[in-house]
Amino acid sequence: MQIQAHETDDALLKRSAKGDERAFTELYRRHQAPLYRFAVRMTGSSWAAEEIVQDVFMMLVREPKKYDPDRGTLGAFLYGVTRNRIMKHLERTPRDFSLDDAGDACRESHPQLHEQMTPARWAELRERREQVRAAVMDLPSEFREAIVLCELEEMSYDEAARALDCPVGTIRSRLHRGRALLLAKLEMLRDTPKRANVGRG
Amino acid sequence: MTCEEFAIAGLDLGAPEQDGPLQRAAREHLRECPHCAALHENWLTLRQDLRGLGAETAEAETPSRVEMRLRQEFRRHKTVKTQRAAFVLGWGLAAAAVLTFAFTWMNWRMHRSANVADTPNVVHAPASNTSTAPRPSTDSDSGEVLLASNNVGDFTLLPDSMPPAPEDATIVRVQMQRAALAALGLTVNEEHAGDWIQVDLLVGDDGLPQAVRLPQTVQQSTN
Repeated sequence: MQIQAHETDDALLKRSAKGDERAFTELYRRHQAPLYRFAVRMTGSSWAAEEIVQDVFMMLVREPKKYDPDRGTLGAFLYGVTRNRIMKHLERTPRDFSLDDAGDACRESHPQLHEQMTPARWAELRERREQVRAAVMDLPSEFREAIVLCELEEMSYDEAARALDCPVGTIRSRLHRGRALLLAKLEMLRDTPKRANVGRG
Repeated sequence: MTCEEFAIAGLDLGAPEQDGPLQRAAREHLRECPHCAALHENWLTLRQDLRGLGAETAEAETPSRVEMRLRQEFRRHKTVKTQRAAFVLGWGLAAAAVLTFAFTWMNWRMHRSANVADTPNVVHAPASNTSTAPRPSTDSDSGEVLLASNNVGDFTLLPDSMPPAPEDATIVRVQMQRAALAALGLTVNEEHAGDWIQVDLLVGDDGLPQAVRLPQTVQQSTN
């Protein structure tokens, strides 16, 4: 059976539950990338993210009835399941963020940038990014997900609140505390005397 | 706006979620307070780094091996589901067949017992003229005769009947109203004409009763 581009997720899921492999594949292709990116950014590990996304879609294969269309979209549901899996992963795994792994991912995703920069500039940029990445990974998970959703994924507060199934006020507060923690941590790491040269008024 | 308020709301400067008056107040405070200006500048740098970090993985996708594994799992799950459905269907059909058989059998049994209840209570025993044959066993509690005696010696011949040869005769025990004995040519006491009695009939090979006997343990019911 042909898959129409405008076919809704719910219709595809129904077909998938009846054994239509193409419908399932289409669903997977529609949703895997944002879920994977969210998992990578939250866990800092592409392996963990891969496992998490696989788990999420395995659940969709085995228990498609867990999704209730009356409670929200399939995308939001998958986001919620991914988030739960990420939290479980973070609970049972020590913070073993690998800078090398992340650096490789960065290099793979932006080879042209790597070629355009001088080695010194590239090294400086990379170091700063690694510091930021490490600082994000070091945040408590609830602040981290607010930062990941609103800053890295550039979601609006409303979108983030829907994704995390919490009020917008909670997002604001988590974001505020997450930003404060990040700033404090990076200031400590860099020890840059930025405040000193702010002489404008 | 105070520095504390700016720390909460000021970092959102430029965000579409923030309303106009708050943004204006934050901008005003930013011009007046170098500490908050430095904080804001730090935040802008950090935000740029965060966005850059996000951009690094903006195109990231799950490796294709995950799709392969999921499709394999999908096929395996489909097969298992089909097998399970066939298993359940098979057992369901078998259970339905057993139930149907049991229901039919019970129905047949009930129908059959109803037919038996409609017919007179008949017990057959081969006739014999030997008095050494076993006497009928009786249930003393219920007073019910379980087996007819096969001794033909104590039968009373019906009028116009010849005694049948013992090997051709059969003793048939029936339950009837006493009045029915009149049809056989016997005299009946009218006071007890409505009583139910058990009667042994000596039936010849032509199927007609030749002689009659009232067993000693007669069940007389008044219904």
